Amino acid sequence: MKTRARRVAPGLAAVLLATVAAFGPSCQPRPTRHAIGVAFETLQTEFWVAAIDAIRADLASRGYDMVEAIADGDANRQLEQVRSFVARRVDGIVVVPKDAKGIIPAIKAANEAGIPIVLFNRPADASAARSVAVVADNLGIARATVEHLCALARQSGRKQKAAILIGDLGDVNSIGRRDGFDQAAAACADAIEVVARIPTDWNQEKALAGMTNALQAHPDLGLVFTSSDFMLPSIVSALKGANRYRRAGEPGHVILGGFDGDATAWRMLEEGTLDATGVQDVYFEAKAAIQALVDAKAGRAVPPVVLDPGFVIHQGNKAEMAPRMWGAQVARRKAAGA
Amino acid sequence: MRRALFVLGDWGVALLCGAYLVALAPFVPGLASGPNLGDVFSNVLPLLAVALGQTLVLLTGGIDLSVTAVVALASVAGARVMTETGGLLPGSAAAGVLAMLGVGVVVGLANGLAVANLRMPPFLATLAMMTFASGLAIWSTQSQGIAGLPASFRALGASLGPLPVSLLVVLPLALAAHLVLSRTVLGRWIYAVGGNARAARVSGVPVERVLLLAYAACGACAGLAAVLYTARLETGSPVLGQRIFLDVIGGAVIGGTSLFGGRGTVRGTAFGVLLITLVDNSLNLLGLSSFTVLMVKGGVILAAAVLDAWRERLAGR
Amino acid sequence: MSAAASAGAPSLLELEGVGKSFFGVRVLAGVSLSLGAGRVLSLVGENGAGKSTLLNVLGGVLAPSAGSMRLGGARYAPASPKEAIARGVAFVHQELNLFPNLSVAEDLLNDKLPTRGTLVDRGTLAARARALLREVGLDASPDALVEDLSPGERQLVEIARALGSDARVVILDEPTTSLTAPEAERLFAIVERLRAQGRSVVYVSHALGDVLRLADDILVLRDGVVVGGGPRAAFDEARLVSLMVGREIDTVFPVRRTAPSGEVALEARGVRAGRRVRGIDLSVRRGEVVGLAGLMGAGRTETLRALFGLDRRDAGEVRVAGRALDPTPRAAIARGVAFVTEDRRQDGLVMEASVADNLALVALPALAAGVHLPPTRVAAAAAGQAGAVSVESATGLSAPARSLSGGNQQKVVLGKWLMAKPAVFLLDEPTRGIDVWAKQQVYRLVADLADSGAAVLVASSEIEELVGLCDRILVMRRGRVVARFVRPGLPPSESEAGGFDREAILRAALGAGEPAGEERP
Repeated sequence: MKTRARRVAPGLAAVLLATVAAFGPSCQPRPTRHAIGVAFETLQTEFWVAAIDAIRADLASRGYDMVEAIADGDANRQLEQVRSFVARRVDGIVVVPKDAKGIIPAIKAANEAGIPIVLFNRPADASAARSVAVVADNLGIARATVEHLCALARQSGRKQKAAILIGDLGDVNSIGRRDGFDQAAAACADAIEVVARIPTDWNQEKALAGMTNALQAHPDLGLVFTSSDFMLPSIVSALKGANRYRRAGEPGHVILGGFDGDATAWRMLEEGTLDATGVQDVYFEAKAAIQALVDAKAGRAVPPVVLDPGFVIHQGNKAEMAPRMWGAQVARRKAAGA
Repeated sequence: MRRALFVLGDWGVALLCGAYLVALAPFVPGLASGPNLGDVFSNVLPLLAVALGQTLVLLTGGIDLSVTAVVALASVAGARVMTETGGLLPGSAAAGVLAMLGVGVVVGLANGLAVANLRMPPFLATLAMMTFASGLAIWSTQSQGIAGLPASFRALGASLGPLPVSLLVVLPLALAAHLVLSRTVLGRWIYAVGGNARAARVSGVPVERVLLLAYAACGACAGLAAVLYTARLETGSPVLGQRIFLDVIGGAVIGGTSLFGGRGTVRGTAFGVLLITLVDNSLNLLGLSSFTVLMVKGGVILAAAVLDAWRERLAGR
Repeated sequence: MSAAASAGAPSLLELEGVGKSFFGVRVLAGVSLSLGAGRVLSLVGENGAGKSTLLNVLGGVLAPSAGSMRLGGARYAPASPKEAIARGVAFVHQELNLFPNLSVAEDLLNDKLPTRGTLVDRGTLAARARALLREVGLDASPDALVEDLSPGERQLVEIARALGSDARVVILDEPTTSLTAPEAERLFAIVERLRAQGRSVVYVSHALGDVLRLADDILVLRDGVVVGGGPRAAFDEARLVSLMVGREIDTVFPVRRTAPSGEVALEARGVRAGRRVRGIDLSVRRGEVVGLAGLMGAGRTETLRALFGLDRRDAGEVRVAGRALDPTPRAAIARGVAFVTEDRRQDGLVMEASVADNLALVALPALAAGVHLPPTRVAAAAAGQAGAVSVESATGLSAPARSLSGGNQQKVVLGKWLMAKPAVFLLDEPTRGIDVWAKQQVYRLVADLADSGAAVLVASSEIEELVGLCDRILVMRRGRVVARFVRPGLPPSESEAGGFDREAILRAALGAGEPAGEERP
C-alpha cells in the first residue's frame, strides 16, 4: 500500500503542476481599481507609522487600493516584495529602501516592467535605474530652524555659545542637516559661537555623554541644535543634570532646536522647553509621492528628486502648524486613546 | 493513520505544493501567473542552497544556527575582494566567489570542530558562531553595504530567458547532495550518526570525521547561497539573509527531515522549501502585513514540527 | 516449595504464588513465602535468578503478573513505591536513591518535611534527623551534605530514612557492597536492632557468610523459582552454592566439530582501564571459545570495551595475530575484530534505520566501488546476510529494526558483524533478553564461528551458557581474572583447573572464602 502510494504520488504531482501551468498564465491579476504597492523597510518608529498612514489616507482619497509589504530590515526580502508587486502588476510602487545600494535591482525590476517607482524619504545611490525620490530638504529645513534659533539668540542680547549634535556621518541626512546648521551659524556669527560639535552615531547614550561633557566644559552654553528629535530625551537628561532645564523665558533657559517633529518635540513645545524644530512634512511627502506616481503613469514628466521643504514649528506658530506636524498628531491621538 | 503519516514523505509534500497552488490561485491575484511563478522559483533557489546544507547537519542529529551569519559574512567578504571601488582584487568575480565559498567552509569547519572534537552541543556552538560572524560582518563594514560589483558577478543573479542563472548553480548542488546521501558510504554514515551515534561508532563509523564534513558542507552551502543572494542584490550586505533561518528549518522539517536526526532526503527538503516559499509569496500577494505572514508561516512550520514529533512518538523512540 | 514460617511467630508478610512476566518471558514464577515479625529472611540466588524482580514487586516498583500478597493480614498490592512506603515497606536499594546536593536532614525527611505554615521548620527538621541518625549510630551532622559522605555513611543514611518511615518491613538489597569492615559490623548491629524492634527484614546478599550469620530463614531462587528454603540451621555455604547453581541442564548446546588450533588470535597483557579493569591477562586461540564469567560489576563489559578500543586503555597491550592493536574501534575492525555489545538498543542497532541498513553498516566500505556505493549491492548483501542468520521480519528487510523481536534484533547485530568476516569475535551477553529458540540459533552461530577458525571471547552472567559453549572459562572479579577453567577433555595448563566445576566457578565469582567486608573499591 505504501509503495503504491509512492508510485502514484509523483504522477499526481506532475498532473497537478501541468494543470496549473496550462491555466496559470490566464489567471492574470485583474485589478478593478488602481493599486499601489507600498514597501517599507520597517514600521518600528512612529515616523514610519505616520508616513504609511499618510500614504494610506492619500490613496483612499483618490480611490486607490494599497498593497502593503514590510521588509523588517532585510534588503533581500525587500527585493522579493518589490518583485512581487511587479508580478502583480500594480500601478505604482512606493518604497522606503533598507539599503541605498541594495535597492537598485528592485528599481531595475520596476523599470523593466514599466511600473513607476518612488523612493520615500530616503534616496537610492546614483545608478542607471530610473526613479523618483521624495526626500526632505535636510539642509534647507535645518538652516531655517537654526536661523530661528539665531534670532532668539540675538534677542537675548548676549553672544551665545552653541553646540550641535550630529547624527551618523555616513548618513546623507546627517550631512545635510549639519551643513544647514553650519550655513545658518556662519550667517549669524555675531550672535552665536559654535563651541561643541558632538558626534552621536544616532546613539542615545553617546548623545547623553556628549551633551553632559559639553555642559561641563561650557557651563554657560546657551544654544543647542540636535540633528534629530529622538535624541531630545538624552539632552533633557543632561540639562537636568546640570540644572539648566528651564522653560523659555526663565533665567538659565538653553535655546533648544531639533529636527524631525516627533511626539516628544511636540510635548516639549507645549511645555515651553523646546524653542523650535524643523519638521519633515510627512503629509506633503506622501502626497508628493503618490502624485509623482500618477503623473509618471499618465506620461507626464516628473523630476528625479522632489524636495519636501518642510517647515519650522516654534513657540510662535505652534498652534496653527500643529495639524501639519506629524508628531503633534501622534501625541494627540495617544492622549485621546489613553 | 499511522501509514498516512509515513507516506507523507517526499512526494506527499510535492502534492501539497500542487494542492496549495490550485486551492489558492482563484483567491490570490497573480499567484499562478507566469511572472509570479518565475519569482517564486528564483526565490526558492538560493534558499534551497542553504537548506540543503542544513539538511546534512540535521541528518546527523545536529543543527547549524550560524548559516544566516555566514551568508552575511561571506557576502561582505566576497564583495570586499571584488568590488571595483577599492577592492582587494577589483573586478575579479572569480576571486569574490572563491572568497565567499572560503568563508563558508572555514566557518563550517570551525563549527564541526566544536561539535565533533570539543563535543559542544550543536545549538550552543553554532549560536556562538552566529553571534561572532554576524558581529564581524557588521563591524568590518560599519553597517555599510559594498556596491560596485563586477558585471560578470552580477550576471549570476540574472536570468537566461525564463530560467534564472542560479538554477545552473543550485541544480547541480542538489543533484550532488542527493547522490552523496543515497549512493556513497559517507551518505550512509551520515544517516547512521544521526540515527544512533553510539552504535555507529561501535560499528566503525568515523563519527568525528562525518560530523566535521557535514558542518563544513553546510557552511559551504551557505557561502554558495551568499553568492546568489549578493548577485541578486548587486550589493555585499552585512545583514544579508537575517530572516531566512525560519524558512530554512521550516522547509527542511516540512520536507520530512527529522530534527532528531537520521531521517530526511534532498527531494523532501526541496519540496519543503518550495512549499514554504509558496506560502510566503501567496501571503505577500494578499497584501497581509508582515506580522500576519510571520504568524501563518510560523504556524505551518509548527504543524510540521508537531507532526515530526508525533511520528517519533508513534515510532516509540 | 515454600519456606515455612517459624512456629509461633505471627506472619507479617505473606506471598502466594507470585509471578512476573515481561513480554511473555517469565522471570518469576510461583513464589510463595511467609515472613514473621521480628524475623530476618535472606534471599540468595545468582544474577538473573529473579531476586531483583521479587524485591521490586515487594517494593511497589513492579506489579506482579500472578499471585497475591498480604501485609499484616490485609491485601498488599502497592501501585507505586510511595504506596509501599505508606503501607510500611521500605526498600533500601542497591543503587542508592539519595539526593547528593541536599543536606542529610533534608534527605532523611524528604517526603515529610516538617513545616510551620508554608516554610520548612528547620529546628524540628534537625531534631528529627538527629534522632534517626542516632538510631543507626551514624555520627554525622544533619546539615552535612550527602555528597560529602562516604559510601558507607550514605548507606546508613538510606537505612535511617527507611527507619524514619516507621517501616514494618525493611528490604536491604546488597547493603554491604560498598561498606568497609567496621561499617558492615555497624550494619549488622542495626539489623539486630530492627529485629528487636519487631520489624521484619528481607536481606539480599551475595556474601554467603553474612547471610548465614544474620538470617533466621533463607530462600534460594534459581531461574525465577524457589528451589530451596527454610530456617538457617538447615543450610551451610556448600548447600547454598549447590542450590544456586542447580543441576538441571535443559538447553542443548551445539556439538563442536573442530578443536582449537594452537595459533593465538587475540592476546591481552596487563590491560588496565579506568576503575573496573585492573589488570587483565588473557589469550584466545583460533577456533577457540573463551568465556568470561563473573558477577555484575566484575568488569567483564569494561574489559571487552577496552580490548575493542571503545574505552581508553590506561596500560597494557592488546595483540591481534601477534601485532599490536591501536585502541580505536576503527583499528579493531580493520584488523578483523567484531564487538557485539551488551545493549543492542543503545549501541548495537540504529533502531530507526531499516534492517537492511543495519546489516550492512559495518561492511559498507567493503561494498563500495571507490566512491560509488550502489544501493542494489547493499540490498543484495543485506538480504544474503539476513538469510544466513535467519532473521525473521514480518514486513521485510526495509522495516525499521525496532519492529523486530529481541531475538531477531540480536541476529541482525550478529549478521552485521559476520558480513565483515571478522577473525576475532567479542560477545557481551549475546543471549540477554531473547527467547529460547533465538538463543539456540545464537549458540549455533557461535559454534559455527569457532569451527570456521574465528576466535571468540564471550562474557555472560549465565554459567550454564558458558559451560555449554566454551572451551575455557575465565572468572573475573573486581577487574581481574581470578580463576581459569578448562573444558573436560582438554589438557589444563598450570594456571587452569581441569573441568567445569560450576560451584567452583560460582565460588570464584563470589569471592567465597574471602573474609567478609572487603577493602573499599
